[in-house]
Amino acid sequence: MERLFGIETEYGITLENEAHIDAVKQSIELIKSYRQEDFRPVWDYRGEDPFRDERGFRANALSNHPDEKEEEKRDRKRNIKERLSFAEIKSDHILANGARLYNDHAHPEYSTPECSSLFDLVAHDKAGERILQRCAETRSEKLGKRVLLYKNNTDFHGHSYGCHDNYLMAREVPFEILKQGIMPFFITRQIFAGSGKIGIETEAGLATPGHYQLSQRSDFFHVEASVDTMHNRPIVNTRDEPHADASKYRRLHGIAGDANMSEYATALKVGTTALVITLIEQRRVPESLALVNPIDTIKTVSHDQTYRWIVMTAEGKTMSAIDHQREYLALAQKHLSETVGLETDWVLTEWEDTLNALEADPMSLTDRLDWVAKKWLLETFAEEEGVAWDDPWLQSLDLEYHNIDLDEGLYYGIPMRRVVTDEQIDAALHNPPADTRAYFRGRAVDRFSDSIKAIQWDSITFTVDGRTREINLNALADAAIARQYNEALDQSPNVETLLEKLHQ
Amino acid sequence: MTAKMIAQLERKQRDTKPIGPGDGDGDNEGPKRQKVNRPDTQELLKRMRRVDKDQSRRYRQRTGE
Repeated sequence: MERLFGIETEYGITLENEAHIDAVKQSIELIKSYRQEDFRPVWDYRGEDPFRDERGFRANALSNHPDEKEEEKRDRKRNIKERLSFAEIKSDHILANGARLYNDHAHPEYSTPECSSLFDLVAHDKAGERILQRCAETRSEKLGKRVLLYKNNTDFHGHSYGCHDNYLMAREVPFEILKQGIMPFFITRQIFAGSGKIGIETEAGLATPGHYQLSQRSDFFHVEASVDTMHNRPIVNTRDEPHADASKYRRLHGIAGDANMSEYATALKVGTTALVITLIEQRRVPESLALVNPIDTIKTVSHDQTYRWIVMTAEGKTMSAIDHQREYLALAQKHLSETVGLETDWVLTEWEDTLNALEADPMSLTDRLDWVAKKWLLETFAEEEGVAWDDPWLQSLDLEYHNIDLDEGLYYGIPMRRVVTDEQIDAALHNPPADTRAYFRGRAVDRFSDSIKAIQWDSITFTVDGRTREINLNALADAAIARQYNEALDQSPNVETLLEKLHQ
Repeated sequence: MTAKMIAQLERKQRDTKPIGPGDGDGDNEGPKRQKVNRPDTQELLKRMRRVDKDQSRRYRQRTGE
């Protein structure tokens, strides 16, 4: 789709029949089970600064959940007692498919390689599930107890964790223009991208059991825009970490979405957002699409039991979230249809069909959208077993919808529409996407691992004959340059030749 | 490093293909009823009944991003 994008997912982790686990410890051990040899920390954290704000300043502090004060005390004690270094706690692994697998705070996280193909991205997102499930099986054998992993966004007790969709975009777009165009879109995108949830939450815990809503995450947004991600979350995150040439690019770090099990929903979520970003870059999104009270509206749309999803624009016009999405769709059809490729064509067609189906009969999307599939699943069970919607059993079923075990997870019991094949997912376990800088990273890890001293999203540092040599990958955001570098790597039998070819 | 990783990641294959036209009992005689892409409710119900009722009550996570 002529844009780089990727998905980073924090997974929920627990042990069967246990209420209290050391999530950090379990997450580290889970990641460790990926490999058989000793861990050699090579991830280079210099490119990361979560305090840096898109609006041109650096935050003094980041908000955190009140529960974390006590948790972090326990973390410090454990780390001292077990002599865990920062690198061991993070346990960063860079995989041969270009992905990053690590412990993010207290969750195993899988960051897909950068993709420019929507369906490559879906395959890599699913490959992440498979890799983590294999880690869970290995760890379970060692532990003698089942490790359970959930690709969801809440523990139903007020603690949320993220699935972030990321897009490289032009730096020249002022942040306020980006915010104006993307925030309303994020608010109504949940009508097809939401994963569904039983209950309404606050950070203090479950407030209203039994209420089925569209989104896992919408209860957790309290600010329109900020650099925070752990608490007081914003609809538009302002973290300024482009992982590319900062003079040319910014990265939209989308934290307002749910983790999707559905391949179709993932493709539609990322595909539509990528098109809207192009519209924003072209200054095509009018201010008239802005919505009043964004913080309330993201919740009222998610909670609405009538499925009319009425929103009000800043100009005082009321419309359904479906029609609001249709406004974005019409802009995309008008301005982007000239540049369509097969994937853009797919997105435009499915976007329109999905909005029409949501209007006619949302339940007709049972085989495509997560919130609809889960609702159908829970309705079927409630009717069969005669349980009420506020019965905790249904909440457990909600959780198990997201269990990534193919034999146990409820999602995997439903014949959902596929957009990639199992063969494509299997290929993504080991192979990077061929047309982005992830190929260079993944193949370098595969072939020259012993020479890698440090690595991050946009650079690799090799040690050659005792000397340190860094290859900066910033320019590889350009597909033509990525192709040159990737070909040079394929043609190089060793690092020395590679460096020569790249004139390093 | 990679060979070991690949070996570790070998997983059992299973069919996750959706039910669609052409699937089914193979009866070639008589009028066909329209195929509807509906889940096998009985199998799914079995899977759901295996879920521990208290799983979500026990489930606690640290806040993330």
